[in-house]
This record gives sequence, C-alpha cells and structure tokens, in this order.
Amino acid sequence: MLCVAALTCAGVRVLNAADTAGEAFFESKIRPLLVARCYKCHSGDKTKGKLALDTRTGWQNGGISGPAILPGNPKESLLIQVVRPTNIRGLLMPPKDQGDKLSDADVANLIQWIAMGAPDPREVAAPQKRSGMTLEEGRKHWAFQPIARPTPPVVKHRAWPRSPIDQFVLAQLETNGLPPAADSDRHPWLRRVTFDITGLPPTPEEIAAFVGDPTPQAHERVVDRLIASPAFGEKWARHWLDIVGYADEIGVANTVPAIHAWRYRDYVIRAFNTDKPFDQFIREQVAGDLLPASSIDQHRDAIIATGFLLLGEIHIVEADKLQQRADVVDHQIQKIGTAFLGQTLGCVRCHDHKFDPITVGDYYGLAGIFNSSESVYVTGRGVWSSILATDLPESPTHRAERELALRAHSKNVARLKQEHAQLEKELAEVNKQLAAPATKTGAAEPSAISTPPAADPKARKAELEKKLADLTNHLRHLDYIEPKSTPVYAIREAAAPADAHIHVRGNARAPGAAVPRGFIRVMDPAPWPKFSTTASGRIELANWLVRADHPLPARVTANRIWQKFFGEGLVRSLDYYGARGERPSHPELLDWLAGEFIRNGWSQKKLIRQITLSRAYQMSSTQNLAAAARDPDNRLLARMPPRRLDAEAIRDAVLAVSGDLLSGGNGPALALHFFENVGGLDPKNPNPVSYALKKFPEDQLRRRAIYLPVIRSGAQPGPAEVRNLFDFVAPTEMTSHRPSTTVATQALFLMNSEFIRTQAGKLADWALKQDAADDDVRLAKLYLRTLNRPATQTEQDSARQFLNATEKPSASQRRDAWAAYCHALLSSNEFLFRL
Amino acid sequence: MSSNTPHRAITPCPGCEAPALSRRDFLNRAHMGFGAVAFAGLASQWATAATPQRPPHFAPRAKRVIFLFMDGGVSHVDSFDPKPALDKQHGQPAKWRPDALSQAVSANRKWLKSPWAFRQHGQSGLWVSDLFPNIARVADELCVVRSLVGETPLHGAQSLLLHTGRSAAAAPSIGSWISYGLGTENAQLPGYVVLNNDWIPNGGIQNFASSFLPATHQAAMVRAKGSPVDNIGAADPAAVQQAKLDFLRAQDGAFAQAQGGSQPIESAIANYETAARMQSLVPQLCDVTGESVETLEMYGLDRANDYDTLYALQCLRARRLIEAGVRFIEITCPNTHGNNSPWDQHGQLKLRHAENARITDQPIAALITDLKARGLLDDTLVMWAGEMGRTPHSSGDDGRDHHVSGYTIWMAGGGIRGGMTFGNTDEMGMSAVERPLDIHDIHATILHQLGVDHERLTFRFGGRDMRLTDVHGNVVKELLA
Repeated sequence: MLCVAALTCAGVRVLNAADTAGEAFFESKIRPLLVARCYKCHSGDKTKGKLALDTRTGWQNGGISGPAILPGNPKESLLIQVVRPTNIRGLLMPPKDQGDKLSDADVANLIQWIAMGAPDPREVAAPQKRSGMTLEEGRKHWAFQPIARPTPPVVKHRAWPRSPIDQFVLAQLETNGLPPAADSDRHPWLRRVTFDITGLPPTPEEIAAFVGDPTPQAHERVVDRLIASPAFGEKWARHWLDIVGYADEIGVANTVPAIHAWRYRDYVIRAFNTDKPFDQFIREQVAGDLLPASSIDQHRDAIIATGFLLLGEIHIVEADKLQQRADVVDHQIQKIGTAFLGQTLGCVRCHDHKFDPITVGDYYGLAGIFNSSESVYVTGRGVWSSILATDLPESPTHRAERELALRAHSKNVARLKQEHAQLEKELAEVNKQLAAPATKTGAAEPSAISTPPAADPKARKAELEKKLADLTNHLRHLDYIEPKSTPVYAIREAAAPADAHIHVRGNARAPGAAVPRGFIRVMDPAPWPKFSTTASGRIELANWLVRADHPLPARVTANRIWQKFFGEGLVRSLDYYGARGERPSHPELLDWLAGEFIRNGWSQKKLIRQITLSRAYQMSSTQNLAAAARDPDNRLLARMPPRRLDAEAIRDAVLAVSGDLLSGGNGPALALHFFENVGGLDPKNPNPVSYALKKFPEDQLRRRAIYLPVIRSGAQPGPAEVRNLFDFVAPTEMTSHRPSTTVATQALFLMNSEFIRTQAGKLADWALKQDAADDDVRLAKLYLRTLNRPATQTEQDSARQFLNATEKPSASQRRDAWAAYCHALLSSNEFLFRL
Repeated sequence: MSSNTPHRAITPCPGCEAPALSRRDFLNRAHMGFGAVAFAGLASQWATAATPQRPPHFAPRAKRVIFLFMDGGVSHVDSFDPKPALDKQHGQPAKWRPDALSQAVSANRKWLKSPWAFRQHGQSGLWVSDLFPNIARVADELCVVRSLVGETPLHGAQSLLLHTGRSAAAAPSIGSWISYGLGTENAQLPGYVVLNNDWIPNGGIQNFASSFLPATHQAAMVRAKGSPVDNIGAADPAAVQQAKLDFLRAQDGAFAQAQGGSQPIESAIANYETAARMQSLVPQLCDVTGESVETLEMYGLDRANDYDTLYALQCLRARRLIEAGVRFIEITCPNTHGNNSPWDQHGQLKLRHAENARITDQPIAALITDLKARGLLDDTLVMWAGEMGRTPHSSGDDGRDHHVSGYTIWMAGGGIRGGMTFGNTDEMGMSAVERPLDIHDIHATILHQLGVDHERLTFRFGGRDMRLTDVHGNVVKELLA
C-alpha cells in the first residue's frame, strides 16, 4: 500500500498516510499555537526551564521537569497539566504576564494532537534570525583577511630603528607625538633577555662576558647563545602546555595518573629546542600518526605529538558513552580553535556563532573529522573510560634498552613470586595446624622466612595473611609498571570514517542532517578536498591549518611570541580573534611578523631573534610620566613594561642562585615506581588505578619546574606548590594568557615558607664560601648573582649594617645574619621582577 | 529511544545572550565586566585597600553568605521532605517513569521508608525529621526548597554545578563571583574563604577556583586542624622579621622609584605589609579560645569526637570571619569513613547519615542562633545544600543511591522568608512536580539578595561575557521575605 514508515540513520523520515494526516493537523492547529503562545520563552536559545518547544526533540527531552509530552497520553503529559488552570503543579502556562490562558479549544486541540501520538515534523529548529555576521561580512573582518606584506614605514627619527619592527613601532609613537624610551643599560637588558628566552637568570660569568664585550655583535652573541641553550625549550614548551591544558592526570576530577603524558611534554621541549618548523609542529599534533616519516625517531615523535588532542579536559567517568564521545570531539574542536585559529568554537556546537561568522555546519564539518578518529576507550572497570594509548615503534636500540630494563624488572618479580609461594606454603601449614585439634603447642617447623614465626599459630596466621596481601599488592604494582612496551597517548583512525550529523542544539541524541567533513568556511573560500571514506581527514585538516595563505595560525603564533617579550600581545585577546576580540594595536607590524615567520620557514627561533634584537625590545622600562598619561596601557610601546616573573621562573631562579638547580629532568613526572604513590591496584576495584604523590624522588626536587607533575583536579603538589601562588594557569583553562596578580599568600610564602628559607640558607653558605677579601666583595658577588647587577654604595652600607647588627658574632650568628640577608634579597621585588 | 534523556547544558556560552551594548556599557565592560574600573591595574583585595567595596546593582538585603555544603547528598526523604506514602508502600517493588536523573545502582528496587520520624516544628509547623533535632529548633528561620532538579546524578558533575553553575566545564565558583562582584568589606582578608574539614569534595579544587576571574577571588582555604593557612605563622623572631621588612621597604622603595613609579611593583610592596598584618589577624580570627564557655558549648566544641569539634570550630570561625568582613564562606563536611563522599550512603544509611548529622546538626543550629542573637542573620544568607538527594527506592534496606530529579536544600537569613517550604516532589519523593527549580535559580536568587543582577554580573573571557548563571536562572521571588 504505502511505503513503510521508517527512520533512516540520517534522520530523514519517510511518511505514511497517518503521519500525513497528523502532520496536517499539527501544521494547521498546533504549530501556530506553539509559535504564538510558547516560542517566546521556549524556542531558539531561549529555553526557560530548559524546555524547547520548537523541535520534536525539544519536547521529547523536555526541560528540568522531564519530557513535556508523552505521545498518546495527554492525561499524563506535563504540557496538558500546565495549561489547565486547575493544575496542581503551581505552574500555569503561559504565565500570567504573557497574556490570557489558553482557550478551551486550544487545550482541546493539544489533547487531540497528543492523543494522535503528537506527530511533529520539526527536525531542526526553525532558522533563527542570525545575530552574528554573514559570511560576506565575516570575510571583511580583519582577522580573516589574508596576511598582508606591509612596507616598513618611513620614520622621522631615522637613526633609531634597527629593524623593520622598530620602524613600525616608532612610526606609531611619532604619529602620537611620543618618544621611545631610552635604551636600557646592559645589566637589566641581559637579565630581561635571559629570563624571557630561558626562564633563568644570567650567571655572573655571562654578565661579565656581555658587559665586557665591546663589539657591535655583543647583543647578537647573547641571543644566539640563549636560543641555542636547552633552557630555551624548557621555558617555551611551558607556554605551549598552557594552551594544551597539559596535566599528568587523566579525566577532569579524578586522581587517575596520565602515566605517559610526560612523553608529550618532552616532545614539545625537543621540538622547540630543535626549532622544528612550527607548521610541522602543528601538522604533527593534528595528524602525526598519519604522516610519512624518514626515521623511527621521527615517526615516534609524530605519534607522541597527537597527545595534543588527548591530554586535556576529557571526562572519563561518564555512563553515557554517546555523550562522552561528543564531549571528546567538542574538546578537540575547541582546542584546534583556541590553539591554532584564535576562535571560540565551543559555542557553535549548539547554534551558529552569535558574533562570529562561524556556523553549526562548520563545527560539524570538523566534528566529522574527529568523530572519525578514536580517542578514548571503555576500561572495563565500572563506568570508567580512559584515553587511548598506542605502543611506539622501536628501533633495535630502543628495544635493547627496554629489554634490559625488563630483565631487571622480571628478576625482581621472580624473587617476589618465590617469596609469595613460600609464604603460602607456610600459611597452609599453619592452617593445617589450626585445623588439627590435637596440636597444642607451637610444633610448627621453623620457617625458611627470615622473620621469626610468632609463637601463637593464630597470630602467625594473621601475620602471614597480612604479608601475603602486601606482597600481592606489590606484585600488582610491579605488573602495573612493567616495561612491556613503550605506550604513549595517541589518537588513531576510526574503523569507519564518516561525516557527522548535526546534534540539534548540541544534543547527541538528537541527530539532524549529516554535514560533509570540512573546515571553517569564512577562513577559506576555496573548494575543499573530498574526504575519503577510509580516512578521518585529519591530514587534510593539518595541511589546511598551515596553508601559506591561511590568515590565522601564523598571526596567532607570532602574536603569542611577541606577547612573551612585551607583556601584552599586539592583539591582547591572545586566543580570540573574533568580532568581539581586540583589534591589533599595530596591524601592520602583526602582519609583518606573521609574514616573516612564514618566510623564515615557521622558525620560532628566527622570529625570537628578530624581536629580541630590535631596538624596541631594548627600550628601558623606566616610566615616562608624559607617555604614561597619554597611553596608560602602553599600547603604543613607549617603553618596555616591567613584569613579575612567572611561577616557574621564580622557583627555578631561586634554585639557580642557591646553587641547587640540576640540569635536565626529562622522563616521567609522576614517581609511580614508588609503591606508596599508587592505589587501586586490585583489578576487582570498580575504580581505576589512582595516584597520590606521597613521595618525590630526591633529584626531582631540584629540577626545573616544567619537569614537576602537573595536577588537573587539585592543588599543585609538593615542590610544585609555587604554581599555586603565582598565577600558574590551571590545566582546565587552556589559555595562553597568564594573569599577574598580587595576593597576600605570595608574600606569606616568600616570608615564611620552608622552601625559600632553606634556599636562602644555601645562598648564604655560597656567599660565605667565596674567596673574598671582605664583605664588600662578597656582597658585590651576591648582588651580581641574585639581582644581576653591581650593588650600589648605599646598598653596600645598609647591608653591612644589617649583617653586623650583632657585635663580634659567632660563626653561627654570622651565618644566620647572612641567611637572613639572603632571604630578604630573594623576597625583594627586584628579584621577582624582570625590567 | 532517547526521548527521556535529559538535555544537558553542555557548552557554556552566556555571551550569546548578551544584549547589544551601549557605548558606555562597552567602555565599562571592555575588560572586566562589572566592577572593572575598581579592578584597574593589578591591585588585589588581599594586597591593598585600593580595591574598595563595589556598589551593588540595587539595594541589597544581604551582605554576605555562608554556604554549608552537605557533600555527598543528604537524603531528602529522610530529612526535610516527608513522604507518608513511602511508609505505606515500604518494601513494595518500586516503579517509576524511567528517568536518567535517579540512579539505580543495582536492580530489584523497592520503596524504602525513612528510618527517621518526621515532626512539625516551630510556629510555622515546618516538617523536619529526627535526623536533625537541633536544626529543627530553628525551623522558623528556614526556607526549605523541596523541588531542586539537577543535571546528572554524579557527584563531581553535580558538585561543580552547585558551586560554579557548570557541570562539565571549568568556571569560577559562586564565592569567586561574589567576591569579584562586590569586592571586600575588609582589605586585610580574602573575600572568599573555605573552612575545610580536611576533605576535598568531588570535582576537586575546581569547586573553589576563580577560574578565569582574577586569582584574588579564589577561595582561601582555612584548615580545621593545625595551622589554619599555609605559611601564616611567622618563621622568624619578631625582631628578625622586622629587620627583613625594613630592608624590603627600603630596597623595594628604591626599586619602584627608579622605575618612575610602577603600579604592579607598588602593589607588591604593599602586599608585604598586608601579609605581615595577616600573620597576626588570621590566627587571631581562627582562635576561638576567647569565646565564652556558653558559646563554645552551644556550638559543640566540648564534644568528645575530633570530627565533631572540628566542624563546630569551623562554624564558630565562620561567624568570626563574617563579623570581620569576609563575603562568602563555605564550610565543607569531614569524611569520616573513607567513603566516596561524606553523605554518600549507598549502604549504612542509618549509621552514617546519623553520624554526619551528629557532626553537623548542633553547630549549624548554633551558628544560626548565634547569628540571630548578634543581629547578623538579617544580612547574612545561610544556604544548606548537598549536590543531590537520594533515591526513595533501594536495592537493600539500608542505603539509597544518587538522585537529582527532585531534592531539597534550605536557606535562612539574608532576607529569605523563614518557616516556609517551597515546591514539592511527587508522593514518593521521586520528581519535582511543583515549581521545579534548578541551581541557576538558586544562584540568581542569592545574587539578587546581595543586590546583584545575575544577568549583569559578567566577565569578558574568550570573547564572551561569562555569567555565573550561564544563560539560565530566575530569581525566585516567593522565597523572599
């Protein structure tokens, strides 16, 4: 007769006659009523009580009171209950302030419609009036325009510029009638550039070399030395990890260790230190597993790089796996948006962007790509999931190294297993003894185990059982850390790549139309590649992101690099370039930097070299009151803004000047080889293996902060506590901007913490050990080491007074006085700032 | 089919609701939203007196908030939502409309009556069960809301929702929003304090974080046991510390001067002065030994158990900190038994609910009584809430599972109407059937009492004007006195 009513997977309904009649009724009686009396509060993005009445799924899902309509059951349908004036729910719809109550006829129609099964053809919400930009308007937005190649402007003060950067900066200053600040002295410049590039203070030797270098290349020599030092990657990788939301923890609010995450952290350090072209860096993070590689090491690195997509806010305790998958994809899209494009793509999950020309279609085009990849799996413990790990390919050298470790490990396991068997045997004997009523005295054979057996068999039994339980747990722990292979968190291709369906209003259970995989239309009017049904499309996405004519990734990256040197970006909203973001203070300079970045093969180091050797970067930080009055935010760059060091630099600098800092530190951040740091090992436990950092390796306390564990869900642990105080951004934030706040807990930490006081004592010991004729020489060395400049006469005088408060001090009084003085120096704001 | 799955609020994007801004609005809000002007620069409310109190949007009824967090979820049908029908149908197989908001950890669900008897209390005749005999005595102060509906029956998600208005994304805590929105009454103290009982609730530190708001507004954690705040005790003899501070004043002063005056540096200098004063002020506020014996006994500091006395201590400290001008205080519950969270009784309901009640009931009643006696209850809003209720049905006979389709919280003081109940669940205590509210409505109402319009308390982040209430929330006028 008629075709079979069905729901295809695309959600396209095939109608039968009854449906047609029902929908005719809906169209004539119900839709107009809903539009007139309900849509005002229950449609589009206005969904009071979380109830939407402009789609079928809207009332199916219902609001906070549950589904609004039970098809076929008008009596129990909430919608009917609330439109009747006699309802018991204390809730009358429409509300009094929205006009009269519904007429009896309207209510009767609603009842009839629901009794018919509530036929409703509305798959997707009626198109809303767009409040954002159209595509055409959007293309005119500055950030979506191609990167221009501006000519450095002519300036009046022609002797000042040293590079095109300076011409752009000076031209704007001149337009506004402001002079650039004088050049900075060599001491503060060296301190500035050393902290900015390496996150560490210059050493007295480095200071002496630079101050004594009369050649015109003195500055260049410093910058070249700094960008070549391993400390560069250790500082700059952290900037990138801020954006990634890196943590050594899986999930959002759980203490599940991300035991392989450190490999991604080390990859970023390596990439930065080897100046991996940034376009390649982007490509690897999006699709490294799919890129051709010329060596095993390169292949390994590219796989590790995809940890970018997995290390972040990913919910792992979620019973609804469909929802979870959609959330993971959302996280990945948001991350691509924030990290590479400077866009907030999260909004577009539910509706077209309100301010920016980005549509739901763009979002689900990207979603298709990530939905065609696998990121998480169900662990089998309770409702838990985890992020996917892949075994890295091994070269013969890798394998040999690992197998060596494995052999040592296996020996240890064998020994414990033997011990376990022995104890079990003994327990069996004790049990036998206890079971036999005749045996009264402890007639058991002396045990082979070294501990003397308890006299009482019952006590001995308890003792043995306790030992066995401990040993079992130890064996489980060893099994947990066994170096069977070299796993790493990495994304992989899904079995059946496919386009994604729109989730109506972000609801994973309300699939709308399918959207072909793709990118973001407003950024690229050209036709896109056809996506294969055998691959996710991540390679295409990776290549699209780094196309030479892409307006955003190069701009976003160059601006972030600039910000690390000048405190603010040329675009201050570092991660957002949309309509409500800031316009660049120096648009031409931004494009020049982005263009140079690309022309120089996306080399971070070359861009950093250009910036730090500019005259603009050399300006003094001393405030010019006239300029400050004209331009309080220093947008015109009339001087170098002074900045407090970030959390990592404060800790690392304290360790460096006290002489405690160790170089290196790559490798696992979480010391899970310590048994006491691991919990939940019992496979019957419904929760996954967890960690609690009760013990830190000795040497880790002296490594740079980047190597310390990062906690997602709690306070930063042990030696990383300084992060809790000095504006470290929580991994939940995914932002490249760190605020710089001043809170009393910082001062309390500097005044009273064990860490600062201990390091001050070590610094004092260093000062007292110096081969020095008198305290003046000692103080000169101390100032050079801590504040990186000579001490003034006034400082020398006041220091002598401070140190000699006690007459004829004993050796220990003298040490105390120096420790107190060093402590005061380490808490001085000059030590905590770079000028 | 999927039709019963609740539609979760997924991605916060409150900016989407922002009305077109006037130019003046725009100037005011360009950076920081409401209160931006006062925040100029990097001054901190802990650091200097430079951050004045900020004017509210309209006349406030309350000046500050104490939030008693019942972590883990108190059973509503055993405390403030009596269900005679449960008694009648006790042991009968439980059937209800499938609902993702009410958890059934294992099958064979039966209705489970409350082991505690309900009685009416006070002039208002408010129903309170015997679980809370002391709170029952202040029944006339309580405004009991029986119709709260959550998003998902999981601790972490619900706890974050209750604290931050978001179940699945990082956002500032309500305490941070209030500290940010209203500034401080006392420049020497943080605006937002968590009186912790050595247990971090599910959802982690994120519950108390300032997130994208300036770090000044994050919670200061005050421990129950031992040193109340990290590094608060002066490590040096007074003379040595003074010498160091003198040195710093001279050294930092010269440094700032050489810079031609620098706001961040000057504020960091002032910070030392504040911290030095806090070294004595905070321990002094936390030290209750000067309180009268009657007060100590009223709060229950004379009780035998550590958990009991520490919770009592934190309640008494809450009053002292409120008096000293802290804006928002949260008191967490201790976890006595290594459970997932204190009130999370899937089993041992009788034992552990009674234990938790024993710890919290007397100090909470004392706090309300004390605030009232001192005239502080009028402008201090007290909220008692867990992140969920518990199922009226059970697989056994002594435990209840997670339940967010209708549960109870209460408020008192701060211009909230006492001695009333609002909303209702159905006869079995399953779903909110009368005036269901969500947590955004409660947040909006609390802000309203503080004189703040929840739609106008915004902070520009990632290009959007973020709000505590996201795109939700209605002030519930019926709750107001």
